[in-house]
Amino acid sequence: MDDNNGSGDDVLGVYHLPRPLPLWLNPAYAKHIVKGNFMTLSARPKTVDQGEWIAHQVVEHYRNLWNFVRVIHEKEEDGTTTCNANSCPRMSAGANHSFTWLNNKREPVELPAFEYITLMQRWISGKIDDENIFPTDANGVSFSHNPSITTTPLSQLSNPGDRDWVGKRSGFPENFVEVCQTIFRQMFRVYAHLYWAHFTEPFYHLNLEKQLNSCFSHFVLTACALDMLKPQELEPMQPLIDLWAANGTFPPGSKAYDYANHRAGDRLMQLGNVA
Amino acid sequence: MDPNNRLYLNFGNNNDRLAASDRTYPTTPSTFPQPVFPNQQSGSAQQQQPSGQPYQGGYPNANYFMQNQGQSQNQYPAQYAPPQGQDYGQGQQYQGRSSTPGTNDPNVGLAHQFSHQNLGGAARAASYGARGPSPAQRPRTAGSSAHQQQQASYNSYLNAPMPSQTPRQPDFQPAPERNPEKYGTNANNNQKKCSQLAADFFKDSVKRARERNLRQSEMEQKLSDPNQNAARREQIWQNGGKKEGRYLRFLRTKDKPENYATIKIIGKGAFGEVKLVQKRADNQVYAMKSLIKTEMFKKDQLAHVRAERDILAESDSPWVVKLFTTFQDANFLYMLMEFLPGGDLMTMLIKYEIFSEDITRFYIAEIVLAIEAVHKLGFIHRDIKPDNILLDRGGHVKLTDFGLSTGFHKLHDNNYYQQLLQGKSNRPRDRSSVAIDQINLTVSNRAQINDWRRSRRLMAYSTVGTPDYIAPEIFTGHGYSFDCDWWSLGTIMFECLVGWPPFCAEDSHDTYRKIVNWRQSLYFPDDITLGVEAEHLIRSLICNTENRLGKQGAQDIKAHSFFRGVEFDSLRRIRAPFEPRLTSAIDTTYFPTDEIDQTDNATVLKAQAIANGKAVEETPEMSLPFIGYTFKRFDNNFR
Repeated sequence: MDDNNGSGDDVLGVYHLPRPLPLWLNPAYAKHIVKGNFMTLSARPKTVDQGEWIAHQVVEHYRNLWNFVRVIHEKEEDGTTTCNANSCPRMSAGANHSFTWLNNKREPVELPAFEYITLMQRWISGKIDDENIFPTDANGVSFSHNPSITTTPLSQLSNPGDRDWVGKRSGFPENFVEVCQTIFRQMFRVYAHLYWAHFTEPFYHLNLEKQLNSCFSHFVLTACALDMLKPQELEPMQPLIDLWAANGTFPPGSKAYDYANHRAGDRLMQLGNVA
Repeated sequence: MDPNNRLYLNFGNNNDRLAASDRTYPTTPSTFPQPVFPNQQSGSAQQQQPSGQPYQGGYPNANYFMQNQGQSQNQYPAQYAPPQGQDYGQGQQYQGRSSTPGTNDPNVGLAHQFSHQNLGGAARAASYGARGPSPAQRPRTAGSSAHQQQQASYNSYLNAPMPSQTPRQPDFQPAPERNPEKYGTNANNNQKKCSQLAADFFKDSVKRARERNLRQSEMEQKLSDPNQNAARREQIWQNGGKKEGRYLRFLRTKDKPENYATIKIIGKGAFGEVKLVQKRADNQVYAMKSLIKTEMFKKDQLAHVRAERDILAESDSPWVVKLFTTFQDANFLYMLMEFLPGGDLMTMLIKYEIFSEDITRFYIAEIVLAIEAVHKLGFIHRDIKPDNILLDRGGHVKLTDFGLSTGFHKLHDNNYYQQLLQGKSNRPRDRSSVAIDQINLTVSNRAQINDWRRSRRLMAYSTVGTPDYIAPEIFTGHGYSFDCDWWSLGTIMFECLVGWPPFCAEDSHDTYRKIVNWRQSLYFPDDITLGVEAEHLIRSLICNTENRLGKQGAQDIKAHSFFRGVEFDSLRRIRAPFEPRLTSAIDTTYFPTDEIDQTDNATVLKAQAIANGKAVEETPEMSLPFIGYTFKRFDNNFR
């Protein structure tokens, strides 16, 4: 009943995880450089426009992610990188997930993770640096509507009947949320690749796993809280999310906590104690 | 794992907790006093939870799993699974969604994304289908009681006897011995950056969130005032939101020197220059200090740049020059600071030579308060001197230069000083053009003093700077403490009343010797009459550290009879003896701009780079020594 050989009775069995389980699912290596309630960093300040807050979070998380990517992606003097076409011929997150790009004929193509990440970076920074998508003019800033205090609802500031969207009054474009969701989804895939393909090589060896855990858990918490990631999109990293719900990283009340399979998380915690 | 290396979050709505600790230890992450995960239920998470709750509608009917075998999402609580279960359809769905943002993409055709999932296959799905209780049955609410219940029953399920003698493979991959050596130098460099930046990210985020919460509760207090009418309340809310929003924009924008127009170069030093600049976007006036990275690196100033950035960033004191933001490019670090139009005390002393006792009393009293403020922040300035004492619009004192501008910061390097003390004269090359006859150990020759005064500014701008005001214990390497700044105060007071600093000599080497032998070399000239109390105070400051006044804190200095009648608490509010007379916000009358070469360092460096055919670094803020240098203050960035 409680064996570890992947029988259907194991609550973890549904994940089809390799056995023994990856190092990053060991509670001893799922720890952080920070303690406390991460929600305090993700929650939108009440007066701040939702679009403004999402924009802020996109940029912050992108900067964080890139700190880790740089480690595997930047060339050594001899031109080699930790993540390369041999080590990672596909942009994968374990045996069960790999991600493809659409080429210019809109066909999905498999790329080495290195290429994928290069394209991802170019694409995201193209968005973030675009003033039309992420405006930076201080004069364009707005605030969040509060029915008990602010009397002019946003839509009435322009012509009634005009369409409204998140961040409209602050100058964010109509597809802003969609763009940000795509950015978050892309960043999630990169994180998933970092865990599945590079957690030990190099992050664990370089003593960076706690930093990675803190940045990624904050990322998941924020992305879920802002509906930037849908629960089914978390799949490649679901067991770690379960574990973090169980070990207190995700506080009850957060969406990330709600999205977790608590039995799986408890099981991982228990395995961690046995180990 | 060192517990002191951990940051603690969770500060939320409990302002009592953070009030005391916030300031005292500005840079150590270990000082947020919260326990680990303290009552997660009541934290600010609830208070600030964004409103959207899109997933609550979806409790599926109980047959869901039976009908949709083969779902890859079947381990999720069922309400989150997509409505249709075909693998193929799933792929289409992703593709469709992701192609949209690509349409206005600069990299058209490349940057589309799509998720392909290799599902586990029929066997696995079947085994799942036959599995016991569906996860969908799990209580969905996050409430702890429900969770514990579930956990309890689950635990008993797990406690079933295990086949104890079966040899089992380990649950987790074994952790190998860590070996950072197997990665290249660049990876190891990036490791350092990454580690530092991740720590900084959380440290900065916690600080910002804390400050934001304080602003929020201040605003709520205003809103709850029953006398506030609706229009005013709306105004408060809107302004609050806009101010926060502008700050967020500021945070995600990279500042660059091109955003500022140079009006004049108001100071030049070995490591860089200070310019009066105007922000192009809003015409606000600032002092922009730019430091040459390669010089900082060569002269080993990196720790000190960092120290200065830290103290200025942490401080909110009226006695310390305000730092608004820091940024960098390939060649420079930039510090954007408030412009203090009154110039500095050095310029004043060059102009007036000596001050009356009353005027001296005012400045020394203000400097006492300023040094006290720095000490309260937990810093020792170590380089208090007239050049670093600036005068604001009202003629009041502010301190600047926390660790820069001169080379006297190898403070821990005893050998450095020992060499200077024992070795030969180390006249720096850039001062050879101002060769002055050596001033003897007891300065009395007025002509020589005047020469010294003329070379004063040149000395201030040199790499080596002037050691005149530095306490002897810093040279001798037996350790120093906060009271070394009080020694400097004594030497400045001496200079105000006498006209030159007590240990001045043409050559730094001689100045060191005089300072170390202060018992013999401290000499009050006969032709200048000092008040008994003034001389007593100077002698109580320029003395060995055991007897130095101020050892127990600034209050002992304030209580000295020289300051009789000075009301320290209101000092900054009285009129200063010298008030700058300014014609505009960009008036540089009080800066010796005529004496300063107005050629921009950037111009020089660019010319050099072109001459050398050097390629520009790609991501300047990522060069390792300057990691974490960037800083952005909430206040006054966007008036």
